[in-house]
Amino acid sequence: MAAHVSPITVPEPPRELRREPLVANYHSFGWISDRVSSLTEGKAPLWWWILFIPSVLCLGMLLFMLGYQISTGVGVWGNMHPVMWGWDIINFVWWIGIGHAGTLISAILFLLRQKWRTAVNRAAEAMTIFAVMCAGIYPALHVGRMWYDWWLFPLPNTYTMWPQFRSPLMWDVFAVSTYFTVSLLFWYMGLIPDLAVLRDRSKSKVRQFLYGLFSLGWTGSNRHWSNYEKAYLLLAGLSTPLVLSVHSIVSLDFSVSQLPGWHTTIFPPYFVAGAIFSGFGMVLTLLIPLRSIFKLQDLITMRHIDIMCKVTLATGTIVGYAYAMEFFIAWYSGNPSERFHFMNRALGPYWWGWMFMVGCNVLVPQLFWMKWFRQNLVAVFILSILVNIGMWFERFVIIVIGLHRDFLPANWGYYSPSPVDILTYIGTFGLFFTMFLLFLRFLPMIAISEVKGVIPQADPHNPMGGAKTQEIIHDKE
Amino acid sequence: MNRSSAHLPLNLAKYRNVPNILMAVGGALAALGFFVNREQFAFSWLLAFMFFLSLGLGALFLVLVHHLFDAAWSVPIRRISEQLSTILFPTMALLFLPIAFLAPQVYPWMREPHPELDHALHAKYPLFTMSGFYVTSALCFLIWWWLSSNLRGWSLKQDQTGGALPTYKLRRYSCVGIILFAVTLTLGAVMWMKALMHEWFSTMYGVYYFAGSVWMTLATVYVITMVLDRQKVLSNILHANQYYYIGSLLFAFTVFYAYIHFSQYFIIWNANMPEETFWYLAREKGSWFYVGIVIIFGHFFIPFLGLLRIDVKSVFPYMLAICVWAWLMHFVDLSFNIMPILHPQGFVLHWLDLGCWAFMTGLVATVFLKKFAAHPPYPLKDPRLSEALGLYHAMPDSFSAADLSPQHGRQGGK
Amino acid sequence: MNASSTPYGIIAEFSNTASLLHAAEKVRDAGFRKWDVFTPFPVHGMDQAMGLRNSKVGWFTFIGGVTGYTTGMIMIWWMNAVDYPLVVGGKPMFSPFHAFPPSYELTILFGAFGSLFGMMFLNRLPRLHHPLLKHRQFAQVTHDKFFIVIECADPKYSETETKKLLEHAGSPRIEMVEE
Repeated sequence: MAAHVSPITVPEPPRELRREPLVANYHSFGWISDRVSSLTEGKAPLWWWILFIPSVLCLGMLLFMLGYQISTGVGVWGNMHPVMWGWDIINFVWWIGIGHAGTLISAILFLLRQKWRTAVNRAAEAMTIFAVMCAGIYPALHVGRMWYDWWLFPLPNTYTMWPQFRSPLMWDVFAVSTYFTVSLLFWYMGLIPDLAVLRDRSKSKVRQFLYGLFSLGWTGSNRHWSNYEKAYLLLAGLSTPLVLSVHSIVSLDFSVSQLPGWHTTIFPPYFVAGAIFSGFGMVLTLLIPLRSIFKLQDLITMRHIDIMCKVTLATGTIVGYAYAMEFFIAWYSGNPSERFHFMNRALGPYWWGWMFMVGCNVLVPQLFWMKWFRQNLVAVFILSILVNIGMWFERFVIIVIGLHRDFLPANWGYYSPSPVDILTYIGTFGLFFTMFLLFLRFLPMIAISEVKGVIPQADPHNPMGGAKTQEIIHDKE
Repeated sequence: MNRSSAHLPLNLAKYRNVPNILMAVGGALAALGFFVNREQFAFSWLLAFMFFLSLGLGALFLVLVHHLFDAAWSVPIRRISEQLSTILFPTMALLFLPIAFLAPQVYPWMREPHPELDHALHAKYPLFTMSGFYVTSALCFLIWWWLSSNLRGWSLKQDQTGGALPTYKLRRYSCVGIILFAVTLTLGAVMWMKALMHEWFSTMYGVYYFAGSVWMTLATVYVITMVLDRQKVLSNILHANQYYYIGSLLFAFTVFYAYIHFSQYFIIWNANMPEETFWYLAREKGSWFYVGIVIIFGHFFIPFLGLLRIDVKSVFPYMLAICVWAWLMHFVDLSFNIMPILHPQGFVLHWLDLGCWAFMTGLVATVFLKKFAAHPPYPLKDPRLSEALGLYHAMPDSFSAADLSPQHGRQGGK
Repeated sequence: MNASSTPYGIIAEFSNTASLLHAAEKVRDAGFRKWDVFTPFPVHGMDQAMGLRNSKVGWFTFIGGVTGYTTGMIMIWWMNAVDYPLVVGGKPMFSPFHAFPPSYELTILFGAFGSLFGMMFLNRLPRLHHPLLKHRQFAQVTHDKFFIVIECADPKYSETETKKLLEHAGSPRIEMVEE
């Protein structure tokens, strides 16, 4: 063994490799409160109304479309033999996938001690909740007679029947409802200290009352923080297997079947990676404009954008591995149906869907290997939208191409969506953006107390935290 | 933490001969087996080979992700992984030679007199031909050689020169490397293990081998770090949090492996198609069923519950037991994959299993110790070392990164 | 000070985390029991400085999780294998495999309830009134100020001595809080 006991010399990192601080320009605690809280105070700016009114109109259209569908029947959708799962399930999986980035940021990155998450987790969690709301609409309506939806739950009924738990669709019911509930709890729990911030700043009685009510009388007591942090850690620890299980269970809807292109063992991790990928796409799509409009460049820095691009790259590449494995194993298995299915993906009538899928999900994120793309906000914004489009097409490819040509050529068909499908989908954006804009208006979009905890002043042992005893920073210098 | 309790450097001199003894005894047993029971020898060798391949590949993965994530905490232990990954070439490549020679005795598909009549085999043309097998194997080792030697080489170069250039180089290698790594690990797992039952297919198999490999590598790295710490080789630069992080990763991979294996089993169980279920049915025959149960409990539940508490991740005797257990379980898991071909009636712990494994343990340990002793025990001038030691504070005075970065704070119309 | 009001405690303000941490250590070492530190964010190392023991929220989570898993498994077994057995897809009436996903979700759901409500129970929240919330300076606790509050109910409390201790600990501003 190399003898090595003498005092060590630690080099100062070269300038180009220094880490940028998480909050730029060394702002104070108070600045963070002011900056974030002020977004919810005062009159709503013009741009907010410009976005809010169309969103509400879109939401109205959604309600109209849903009413039309419920009163008429699922025949108003394009679903037709042999493609009985169409845009409804595509959009369900797409929306729920988007939600996953929020939980990844709030829970998994918390467990991984990724401090940068504090600047983006609140907005991402809000995105999760609203995306799951959009997703939940589809299966509830897809059953056809939505007034029987309660049969999905284990509730006693006059037929003395019980739900059938061997069906993956039942697992979905439990997964999605648990996901929504736990995400909401987690989000609310994170909000408690920040609601107290808003309470203490409130000028009007109404705000004081409402923020006071929902902040539960939070005082910032360290005895409370101690339990709070433990509970937060535990919720993060519970949400991590939850987020993995939700999209795994969604993937089981497909993979426990025997259909080529659906039945493949890599589906659970592949779906999870894809979900996180699309979710980060959406986080970037939302946050890049917001940080400019709200002047949050010091809180959501280029370092944050850079890291999120890298996560997109990593998950996109994992998805690419899964695509490659699917093709490879279809060939390897020698199963003619499998082989036909995958050739049909690339060369069949929906070849364009496959092109979008591979192009946007595997090839486009590879641009993020280059720093220029990660640092150019316009490029990141465009690529993030392409990621969302690509992931929509992935679900399209799996569902529609999987179903439209199965084992018997007599069963083949061609699926197109109906206008109701398209308008309903656009309507869900109305719901999503209405909720998101309301969130921006009334709740702090950045986790104030968490960001305060990661700046240098927060650390009692950091010189900026007021520590008088200056330990040796670097031997060399 | 316990780490301060060891005052004197741990002296392992009396165990210095253990690797040699393992090599000698194991080598003798293996050589004997080669003449006495060649088929068993080939399978036992393959089992031991796949076991240590796990270690090399797992270590390579740890190095790759360290650079890709621009991590700081793992700088003090990176040299261990770097040195471990270089066993892939030439050590593992040489250890592959017996498999290369005895391949027809191991892989049933190679014994097929008319490959064109076996559809599952014919469909895999040209990958599943003798030349396909050798070309793929050679390709894997070449890529691992290129990656592991360059990743170690540039890291060693940084020990001399310091500076940012080696860091950038290492990142470049890791970018290309992670993709090559994914492809070659999958090919290795498919060609050398899954091909034992070539009719069977599962898209998850590469991930499955990967999950187990990284799991046992983390256990290994934990123990090596602990020993080096007690020998006062790394004690200057280690904090309690390195143990905590490796322990947490070990925990994470315990769950990840279970997730992967459960998913694979569950999907096959549910779809219930004979072309897939036969692989698991063969592993439910005789005592293999109980091996499966041992894997469920031993590979998942015991380490899962054992690692759940935060504080145990830095209790050395406890963690040592868990890490040894992880080795045992990985061995059982690979045995579950490989051995039902040779012993379809049930699990057999043959003396050759132990012999081949002992030989490779001794050899790999010797090679690793020699390499490790020849170079500094940690990356001396890595730019992230000061951060790993908790000495790096981003400061607003003098020349902070904030003043230097042109993008900083000015992007987006500020 | 108003004659009709009873004092609740003494409040000392601090401006940075390091001095707060050291002050908390002093108060802890002086042997106070009914006291607390108030911060805008959790300060790293404060639990040790206050001498707090590990939070017990984990037990609530654990009990919640175990309840969820058992509920799921028993429910599915009873519904699909006992009360309403129906052959589907040649699968067994009950198997831990197909019952696993819903039971797993219930584990997490109940565990999450346990965590949040356990935290609220241990913190005695929601609490709609607190003497400190009336204190004008205390509103800064969610902004950028740090406080140590020692309650009058503490057996060691004495108006002059305690005040001296906090002054000595480096607090620039010490006041009384009323009930």
